[in-house]
Amino acid sequence: MASAPTPPTNPYRLLGGRIPYVEGPLKVTGRAEYTDDIQRPGLLVGRLLRSPWPHARLRSIDVAAARALPGVYAVLTGDRYPIPFGVLPITHDETAIAVDASRYIGDIIAAVAARDEPTAEAALALIRVDAEPLAEHADPRMGTSKVTDPIHAKGLAGTNIQKEVVQHFGDVDAAFARARFTARVRGTFAGVTHAFTEPMATIAEATPDGRLTVWSATQVPHYLHRTLSEVLGIPMHRIRVIKPEVGGGFGGKSDPLPHEIVCAALAIETGRPVKILFDREEVFYTNHGRHPTQNEVRVAADAEGNLLAYDIEALIDGGAWSSFGTVTTYYNGVLAMGPYRVPNFRYKGRRVYTTKPPSGAMRAHGGTNIRYSIEVALDRIAEESGIDPFDLRERNALAPNSTTVNRFEITSTSFLECLSAVRKASDWDRKFRQLPYGRGIGLGCGFYISGSNSPIHFTPKMPQSTVHLKVDMDGGIAVHSMQADIGQGSNTLLAAIVAEVLGVDLERVHVQRVDSDVSPVDLGSYSSRVTFMMGNAARSAAEQLKGELITAAAGLLGTPPEEVMVGHECFETRGPPPASVPFLEVLHRAMEAKGALTASGSYQTRPKGGTFKGAKAGTAPAYSFAAYVAEVSVDVETGEYRVRKVWAGFDCGRPLNRLAVEGQIEGSIHMGLGQVMGESMNYRGSRLFNPSLLEYKIPMPQQMPEVEILLVGKDDPEGPFGAKEAGEGPLIATLPAVGNALYDAVGVRFTDLPITPDKVLRGIDRRVAERRAWKGA
Amino acid sequence: MHLDPFELHRPRSVEEAVRLASELSGQCDYLAGGTDLLPNYKMHLNLRPHLIALEDIPELRGHSFERLGAMERLADLEGDPAFRAAYPGIQDAVGEVATPLVRASGTVGGNLLVETRCFFFNQSFFWRASLGFCLKADGDRCHVVPQKERCYATFSGDLAPSLLVLDADVEVAGPSGRRRLPLSGLYDAAGDGIRRTRLAPGELLVAVHLPPSARGQRAGYKKLRVRPSFDFPELGVAVAGRWDGTRVESLRIAVGGVETYPRRFDALTDPLAGAPLSEEALGRVASEVMRGVRPVHNTFLLPDYRRRVVEVYVRRAVREAREGSAA
Repeated sequence: MASAPTPPTNPYRLLGGRIPYVEGPLKVTGRAEYTDDIQRPGLLVGRLLRSPWPHARLRSIDVAAARALPGVYAVLTGDRYPIPFGVLPITHDETAIAVDASRYIGDIIAAVAARDEPTAEAALALIRVDAEPLAEHADPRMGTSKVTDPIHAKGLAGTNIQKEVVQHFGDVDAAFARARFTARVRGTFAGVTHAFTEPMATIAEATPDGRLTVWSATQVPHYLHRTLSEVLGIPMHRIRVIKPEVGGGFGGKSDPLPHEIVCAALAIETGRPVKILFDREEVFYTNHGRHPTQNEVRVAADAEGNLLAYDIEALIDGGAWSSFGTVTTYYNGVLAMGPYRVPNFRYKGRRVYTTKPPSGAMRAHGGTNIRYSIEVALDRIAEESGIDPFDLRERNALAPNSTTVNRFEITSTSFLECLSAVRKASDWDRKFRQLPYGRGIGLGCGFYISGSNSPIHFTPKMPQSTVHLKVDMDGGIAVHSMQADIGQGSNTLLAAIVAEVLGVDLERVHVQRVDSDVSPVDLGSYSSRVTFMMGNAARSAAEQLKGELITAAAGLLGTPPEEVMVGHECFETRGPPPASVPFLEVLHRAMEAKGALTASGSYQTRPKGGTFKGAKAGTAPAYSFAAYVAEVSVDVETGEYRVRKVWAGFDCGRPLNRLAVEGQIEGSIHMGLGQVMGESMNYRGSRLFNPSLLEYKIPMPQQMPEVEILLVGKDDPEGPFGAKEAGEGPLIATLPAVGNALYDAVGVRFTDLPITPDKVLRGIDRRVAERRAWKGA
Repeated sequence: MHLDPFELHRPRSVEEAVRLASELSGQCDYLAGGTDLLPNYKMHLNLRPHLIALEDIPELRGHSFERLGAMERLADLEGDPAFRAAYPGIQDAVGEVATPLVRASGTVGGNLLVETRCFFFNQSFFWRASLGFCLKADGDRCHVVPQKERCYATFSGDLAPSLLVLDADVEVAGPSGRRRLPLSGLYDAAGDGIRRTRLAPGELLVAVHLPPSARGQRAGYKKLRVRPSFDFPELGVAVAGRWDGTRVESLRIAVGGVETYPRRFDALTDPLAGAPLSEEALGRVASEVMRGVRPVHNTFLLPDYRRRVVEVYVRRAVREAREGSAA
C-alpha cells in the first residue's frame, strides 16, 4: 500500500514520521492486558437473561428457583436499579435491566452471578417470566403514525418517532424552480454493525472501603463513570473506572452500556468481583451500529453546474433506544453541508423506535448513508449536464475560511488538492466512461467533523481534554489522561507529542492506563476528537514543562532562557560558544527546588455555530476532507464484482503519525467496502438472522483492493501541529466511489446497500429490459 | 457460549469404534476434525453425551491416488503436489473449503458428511428457542417451507460434488461388517435435511476409493459464496470429463449447495458422449441443470439468484475443464 514519502519540509523530529505503536510489542506477543485477561480473587461469572420476544410487557419475574440453586450468588431484575440513563442527557430511556417491558429480542430482563458459567446458565433457565406479548414494530415507516403499544411513552404523540428534525435555509423551492439540472436519489441502507474484535467485557468489584472499581472495554470511560454514579446512586469519587486495552470499538463501545451497570450491581449485591464477557451473538444484540436508513435526496444545479439546493429526507430506524439518535437525526442532514457550497438547504429527518437492537454511533456516524445518496445524485447531475464529475465538484468546493449556510466555519480545507491528486493518480481522464463494459471507475467525496464543538459534558465551559505530566528524578515522563486508546494509536500520539516538545526519546514517555482515580478527564474516543483535542492538551502540558526545563537549562548554560533551545535529549545554546546540557542534568536542576515536575494542559473549543434550534449539531473546530476514486470489475453474468483499486485523497491537515493515519484509511476503506459489498444486519421482522461473524459478511482480505493513499492536507490553524482527524472521514467516500464505479461499469444506479451480486444482476437485467445500451452492451 | 461436558472415547481401530457406537446407540457422535460438530455443540444442536474421536485410528489416515482415508486432513491433500496434479477437480474443491485453519483440522470424511445447514438451524439455543425450534433440532416444524414433514436444510460440503463426478466409491464399516457403495448412493435422494445419507445407525465412513478412470480427467469445481473464503457454498458445481480432440468421451456434472443432497446429472450429460459439444448444446445442458435444482431461502443469497448462477457456472466449469490441460 503506497503512500507519498514524508515531505522533506517536516520541521519535526518524530511527528510527521512513521511511529510504531508504543504498545505494539505487548499486543503482538499477547502480553497486552484486555479486560478478560484480568484476574481477581473469587471472581464470579455474570450472565444475562435475554428477551425472546420482540416486544412484551413483563408482568412478573419469578427468580426464587434460580436464587436457590447452589453456586448462585445473586439474581437481579429491573426493579432493583430502575433509574433511566442514556448517553445523551436529553434522552434517558434505557434501564440497566428491563423494568416494565422488553423491547427487542435480546433485551436484558434478568441477571445472575454464579460461581461458573454452567451454573449461571442453569440459573437463567430456572427464571420464570410471565410476559404478555405487545405489538411488534419492525418497520420504521409504520412507526411514523399513531401505533398500538408504542415502544416508549416518550414517542411523539402516540407514534414511535423518537426525534424529528426540520431545517430550512434559504429558499429551496425557488432554487429548484430556477434549476437547469436536478437529480433525485432514493437510498436504502441496511443496518451495519461495528464487528470489533474484542467482545464487550466488564469486571466490577465492590470493596469494604465503600468503593466500586469497574474495568471495562469502553471507548468513553468518563461517560461510563458518570452513568454508573447516576444509576447506582454512588458519588463519582467513590467509583473508579479503569480502561484496560480495548480491541476495537468503532463507536460500539461509546455508549454506557447496560451490562456495565449490571456487572457493577452484581458486584455490589454479592460483595465479590464479577465478570461479564459477551459471546458474539450478544455483541450483535447490543449493536448500537449504523442505523438502517431510507433517504431521499434532491439536488438542483444551474446550467454551469453550480449547486443551488439540496432537499433531503431521512427515515432512520433507531431500534429500541435513543442512544446517540438525536445526534444521528441531525447529522443525517447537516453532514450534507460539505464539502460543497450549498446555498439553499432543506432537511426533514425522523428517527423512529423499532423493536430491534438499538442503533447508535458507528464510525463516520450520521455522515455515511446521506453522503452516498448525495454523491450518486451529483454523479447524475454530472452525467446529465455533461460536466465531468471532478469538474462539477471542483466548481462547488467550499473555500478555505468560508461559512456554510448553516454557519459551519470551514477553516482549513485541501479538498481541491484531494480532487486533483486522485484525478491524476487514477488516470481518471483516460478511464472514465472509456473502460470496457463491466469495468468502471467512480468518484466519491466527503468531509467529517474533527471533534464536536458541543460535546456531552457537565458544563460547556469545562475543557474537553486534560493531560497531566509528571517527571521524577528517573527521567521518565508519566502521562495521564482519560483519552481512550482503542487501537487507533492515541497512546502513541500522546507520547510522541510530549517527546517532540521536550526533545526526548519516545521511550522516556510512559502513557499510563486510563484510571479515573488518577487520569484527568478527556471525553474519550468518539466524534474523531482525540488527536485534535488531546493533542492540543498534551502540547500545552508539555510546553509548560519545557518552560521550566529551559529556565533550569539557562542556569546551567549561563545564558538567558530566550537563547536556550530544545535539542535531542538535551538543551542547547547556539552561543557563541555553542554548548549543550543533557536532559537529565537539566531535569535534576529543575527539581532541586520542588521535587517532581508536574504539568496540566487542557483544550477547549471556541464557541461556534448559530443560535437557531439544532445549530450546534455538526459544529467542529475543524473538518477533514476526502476525494476517493474506486475502480471495479464486474462479472456481468453473475453480478459478482471486485473493487480493484482505491485512490484515497485525504486532508487530515498534517498527518502526525503516518503509520497510524494510513492504517485508519486502509481500515476505513475495508469497513466502507463491507457496507457496500455485503455487510448487513439481516432482519426478518424484528428478528436478526445473522448474529455471527460467519453470516455477517465482513470482507475477506482477498476482497481488499490495492489502496493508494494521497495525503495532501496543509496545516490546520487550530489542530495540534496542524493536524485534523483521520479516523472516520476516511470511511465515507469509499461507498459512493464504489457505487459510482459500478454505474460506470454496467450502467446501473445501485441505491440499495449492500450491493450484493444478486442486486447487480437484477440491475443489469432491468437495464437490458429497458433496452438501454451501455458501453456497447 | 460454552461446550457442555461430554465423554470422549478414543478407539484405536475401526472395529472398536463401531462397537462403541453400537453400545452407545443414539447417544454418540463420531468426532472427525470437529470444525463443524463442535461449533454446533456450542449451539446445543443435537447434543450427544458421548463423542467417539477417530483420530487415533491409523486405518482412517493416509491418501494415495486410489484411496483417501476418511480422517485425512484436507490440508494433507492440498500439500501433495502429485495428488493435486492427478485430481485437479478435487484440488479445486479442497482449496475452497472454509479457511486454511479449518482445512488443517477438517477431514475428507467430515466434509462428505458435513451437517446440512439452514438459517433456522445454525443458530444458538437462545435464538432457536425464541422462535420455537425446528424439525431438525428440538422442534416439530420447518420454518423455511412451513410444514411438519420434511427438512430443507442444504447440503454444504465442497468435496462431494468433485468426488461424485469421478465415480468415487465409499467404504463403510458398521456393526454387521464392511460394505462398499458408490458415493452417489451415500446421499439419500429420498431423504431430507435430517435423513440425509443412507448410512445405518453407527456406521462409519472409512475411506473414499477412486477408480482408475478417475485419474487424468479434465476437471474443476466452481463455488458460489459471498466472500472468497470462510463461507460455506451457496452453490458448488463440479465437472469432470474426457475429450478426444473436440469430441466428448465422457462428461459428468454434479451440483451441491442448493438442495439437501449433492447430485449428478448423468441423464443430461450421457447423451453428449461421442460428439463435439456445441455452445448451444452446452447452454441447453446448463439450463436443464438449472431447471433441475430447487434451492430454498435458507442461506444468505436468494434462491432465484443461486439457480441462475447454476446455469452460468455449469457452462463455465465445462468450458474451463475442456480448455484446461489434461492431467
